[in-house]
Amino acid sequence: MNTKTPFLIKRVITASSLLILLLGFAMVLGISMGSTDSGIKDVFKNLMGIKEPESMLYTIIWQIRFPRVLLAALVGAALSLGGLVFQALLRNPLAEPYILGISGGSAIGAIIGILMGFSRFPGVSLTAFTGSILTLLLILAMSSGQTILKKDALLLSGVMVNAFCAAVIMFLVSMTQDSRLHNIIFWLMGDLSLVDMKHVGILAATLLPCFFLVFWLSNPMNLLLLGKEMAQTMGVNIKTVTFTLLVATSFMVSATVSYCGLVGFVGLVMPHLLRLVLGPDHRVLVPACVFGGGAYMVFCDLLARTLPKQGEMPAGVITAMIGAPLFIYLLKRTGK
Amino acid sequence: MLAFRSITIISTMTILLLILSGKVSAVKTIIDQLGRHVTVPDQPLRVVSLAPSITEIVYALDQGHRLKGVTTYSDFPSEAIKLPKVGSYVHLDLEKIVALKPDLCIAIKDGNPRVIAQRLESLKIPVYAVDPNNLETVMKTVLEIGTLLNAKDQADRLVQMMDLRIQKVKSLVENVTHRPRVFFQIGISPIVSVGTHTFIHELIVIAGGTNLAAGPIPYPRFSREKVLSLSPEVIIITSMARSAAFEKVKAEWEKWPTMPAVRNQRIYLEDSNFFDRPSPRLVDGLELIIRMIHPELFKKIQ
Repeated sequence: MNTKTPFLIKRVITASSLLILLLGFAMVLGISMGSTDSGIKDVFKNLMGIKEPESMLYTIIWQIRFPRVLLAALVGAALSLGGLVFQALLRNPLAEPYILGISGGSAIGAIIGILMGFSRFPGVSLTAFTGSILTLLLILAMSSGQTILKKDALLLSGVMVNAFCAAVIMFLVSMTQDSRLHNIIFWLMGDLSLVDMKHVGILAATLLPCFFLVFWLSNPMNLLLLGKEMAQTMGVNIKTVTFTLLVATSFMVSATVSYCGLVGFVGLVMPHLLRLVLGPDHRVLVPACVFGGGAYMVFCDLLARTLPKQGEMPAGVITAMIGAPLFIYLLKRTGK
Repeated sequence: MLAFRSITIISTMTILLLILSGKVSAVKTIIDQLGRHVTVPDQPLRVVSLAPSITEIVYALDQGHRLKGVTTYSDFPSEAIKLPKVGSYVHLDLEKIVALKPDLCIAIKDGNPRVIAQRLESLKIPVYAVDPNNLETVMKTVLEIGTLLNAKDQADRLVQMMDLRIQKVKSLVENVTHRPRVFFQIGISPIVSVGTHTFIHELIVIAGGTNLAAGPIPYPRFSREKVLSLSPEVIIITSMARSAAFEKVKAEWEKWPTMPAVRNQRIYLEDSNFFDRPSPRLVDGLELIIRMIHPELFKKIQ
């Protein structure tokens, strides 16, 4: 666009490095706190290698808390990016994978996968992906017919699809008799507690290519925001770009859902906050959403782990408590 | 960058654990009830029980001193309440379990998330899984946990005692001609009863009753209408806690005097812990049930 390339690179690097610092801070904090009381001091000692590495604290930090913090960062990054992409493609500031029902669709797919006894990967991930694609098609079909995807039509279709998904999920849960039920319920509410390094590795391997793909398409996203004719004259193949981005986003969302259930509104909070600070250029916003969204989710998960005195609450509860009021505020503001 | 870091961490941990596991002296490899080979220490001294029933079994074998952690609702015997808690049995807190440095975790197949067992094992903490699903396998579980904790004598004695008490109940109902229709209510709203493949069904049958909810669904739901049409002679309601709500449920049934159970005032309230935990206390539950189903047998004795 009108920004010169060296200036852009400088902006991308400045914004990203600041957010990487924030993410690093969040992650250190994340591995310093948990259900057993070992203070930040102990953790730092351990990080510096003062204590003998075979200690119990070492195991807790690196094998229990660290995978969890990494998972939170990945999930936050994927969901924020998902929100950003949907907001750009549908030209709707309120679009978000959870609100549109994409997450709900993935959850239905994932529950069916779990009930059929599939393993987390690739079985459940694939059924979740199928669910998310089907919901996406449903939403697009419902809100098409309008020349431009109008804000209200799209949002209403999303709300309805989400309600329908919730009903199907309730149906599946109420039909389930066995002991897997408890696990499904905890997972549904957004549970990050049960992952190990192997799963985090698999998730990272599926998400990172998507991050790069979206970053690669960030300039076409900018042009799309200027309007279809404008984008076309600038040499953007609208259909290919839109299709690629939608599939990549659904893929990211379904991957996160199959690992940690429904974590809502993350795709709303971070993109809006970052757009407010960094402006509308997606070449800056995409990396910023990856790092900022990661940091946000790590903080939310930290709150979920440390707020209750007994046990912990699902991270999805925290993100919804922060995100839903923001959604209402945005709805009010854009309505004017 | 992060992936590389994690690989480094994983490999260092594996090497460390390999070195550590070499140090462990007396171990034995046994097969648990899920058919998995588990290597456990000869003298487990830091045991974490992952279900209330397992806690009860360990205490019944006089091995409570070996327990270093239990689940949130492990409330029997009262000594267990003081032990550190590792979350509820369906939602375990991995970090808390690991912090207790257990040398053995005893898990239950129905309820404990499989992922937890897998993660504990990947951290080189042995997990012995039990799968009790009727009185016979409860006794088998007691014997196995006895072997596991070097309390074989206590386990033998306990199982003999349990068996003796079960036989006594069986002999009492041997000549009973009428097997009363029992509706056993474990859920208040919705009304939930128990199917054929449950402990409670087994207890009802041994105690000389007929389970009205017998069938393939383990925990079938009922409408009030359906219960009325079954015309139960005995209603047993269990709950986690004896509360005011509990009495309300009884009052709710008492609105229907056409039911034999109401007419003859045979609605009973009982603590659910005697019936839904696969522990030696199931036999207490059995003795409670026979008194509710066949009170006449006990009048004779007096």
